[in-house]
Amino acid sequence: MFGLTDRNWFSLAVVLYGIGAVYSVLLWRRGFRRDDWVLYGLLAAGAAAHMTAMFLRGFSVDRCPINNLFEATMFISWTMVASLLVLGTWQRLRFLGAFASPLLFALGVFALFPMLDERGPKPAFVHGWESLHAALVLLAYGAFGLSALAALMYLSQEHHLKFDKPRAVLSLLPPIQRLEKVTTALLWVGFCLLTAGLVVGAWWLQQQHGYFISGDPKVVWSLAVWIAYLGLLVLHWRPLAGGKQFAYGVIATFAFVLLTFWGTNLPSAIHNP
Amino acid sequence: MRLLVLGLSHHSAPVELRERFAYAEADVPGLLTRLKAAGLAQEGVLLSTCNRVELYVATDRSGSEISQALRAFVAQDRGVNGPADRAWYVHSDGQGAEHLFRVACGLESLVLGETEILGQLKRAYDVALQHGCTGRLLNKLFQAAFSTAKRVRSETGIQRGNTSVASVAVELAEKIFDGLQGREVMVIGAGDTSEKTARALLSRGAHSVMVSNRSFDRAATLAEELGGRAIHFDDWSREFGRLDIIISSTSAPHYILDRPRLSGLLQNRSSRPLLLIDLAVPRDIDPEVKLLNNIFLANVDDLQAIAAEHVRARQVERIRCEQIIRERSQRWAGDVSSHPLPERRLAFE
Repeated sequence: MFGLTDRNWFSLAVVLYGIGAVYSVLLWRRGFRRDDWVLYGLLAAGAAAHMTAMFLRGFSVDRCPINNLFEATMFISWTMVASLLVLGTWQRLRFLGAFASPLLFALGVFALFPMLDERGPKPAFVHGWESLHAALVLLAYGAFGLSALAALMYLSQEHHLKFDKPRAVLSLLPPIQRLEKVTTALLWVGFCLLTAGLVVGAWWLQQQHGYFISGDPKVVWSLAVWIAYLGLLVLHWRPLAGGKQFAYGVIATFAFVLLTFWGTNLPSAIHNP
Repeated sequence: MRLLVLGLSHHSAPVELRERFAYAEADVPGLLTRLKAAGLAQEGVLLSTCNRVELYVATDRSGSEISQALRAFVAQDRGVNGPADRAWYVHSDGQGAEHLFRVACGLESLVLGETEILGQLKRAYDVALQHGCTGRLLNKLFQAAFSTAKRVRSETGIQRGNTSVASVAVELAEKIFDGLQGREVMVIGAGDTSEKTARALLSRGAHSVMVSNRSFDRAATLAEELGGRAIHFDDWSREFGRLDIIISSTSAPHYILDRPRLSGLLQNRSSRPLLLIDLAVPRDIDPEVKLLNNIFLANVDDLQAIAAEHVRARQVERIRCEQIIRERSQRWAGDVSSHPLPERRLAFE
């Protein structure tokens, strides 16, 4: 489209997210005091370029573009930015974009590393079930990412409510109790999607290999992540496990996912046929 | 026909002088009628509040002679003798309109941007209108003032943020809780500010108020006024598990709630946030408690710092307001000069 490749479009999106990240620093320094559409506009423009890249890639491989790490990363960040645009229609949550744009930029730069976009002799996913498994799991990580951003927003606002009250009161960020609700709701969405994705993946394993669970590093890692999120949700029900500790838990778990997702993918025979 | 504004305000006169020129609402029509009878004005509106007494008139007389005559008339009407002339200010035509617009927008108020003055101005205009004391000039002027105030309110942040301790406490609570509906509030120590804060919380939907005081009778009286219930002072911590907001203003010389005691009380409570508002001096609550998870503490200095920040933010907005006001007053002056009003007004005739 317009002589640009899918990677060119994605690069354009990453540049826009980068500008958004710089602009976010200004918003943060000003204490989020005024409703601001500039960042939302930058993210919307980035999302448009991002979506174009996804469409071009999808049409070129003739299936959902989640066949290698570049595409998977692109898909996760697209999930996040699309959700942010929807949440951003609610004024008080529009500033989630300020917390998200640095992460979107970092994910985009990482995805553009050439070695992540290796096109093998055949696409990794041949059947619809595999694509469904991958899409559900990646959507789940997108929801976990958004949940972590809401938790980050919570921690920022909570800190100001304790130590810099004028800044907390004058900002347009939502009340922290609502942020905790949003964090929890996104966590539940992600957990349900991850559960569904893992069930589909297990069913596919049984169909192809005759067993539900293997010792494949990615499968073991996915189960560990599932248990970690289940633990977070269970702990959140308990007294004294809400608030700041919960927010730290959500952020730490997603940081673990981010830091290990690609590493565990490489030695996985199932995910790198 | 020209506009003339004659006034005294907190900027120009102390309360000892302002109170001598203050008018009760019932006395205003009489004053305006006497002004007309004396041939000093064809139209008139009198604004009398605790911070200002201002007379807006449409007159066909000009020069300093009319302002002197009006001053003398009002002084005589109120039976005030002595040199008060230097306290009066006079504005005419475009300047007068600009002054009214500034008053309507709260730019001349003691608390910058406050909105109560707009209601008082509307009431003053209404009284004059009902008694036939306004005509084309003042009708157009006051309508323009009200629409300018509306525009300023919608396009600037001059009225944003609260400046009283009670309303700032509510604002802080709204940054913590997802709505104040159904919140349980306890007042420990029945002071004036804590009562105002409790009332402000109730007005925003708080569910109920419990009052605990060393004097149980005082607690019972306040609880009845607030529609809540009184608790014996030694028993207040029994209710702790269900509370969302505690307002404390006892005269105790030491902390009534410190970190070890609060940590113990938290064992019987879910992880939802707790806002502690400490209005006492010396303080009732150990500042270290804010280090506990989900505990938010605000003392008088914190609340006053927020109020001061709001005032500062309003000062920043002042420039934008003044631009709008200047533009609107110039437009009003242009309208009046391009459509001259008849020399004689009908309202008083």
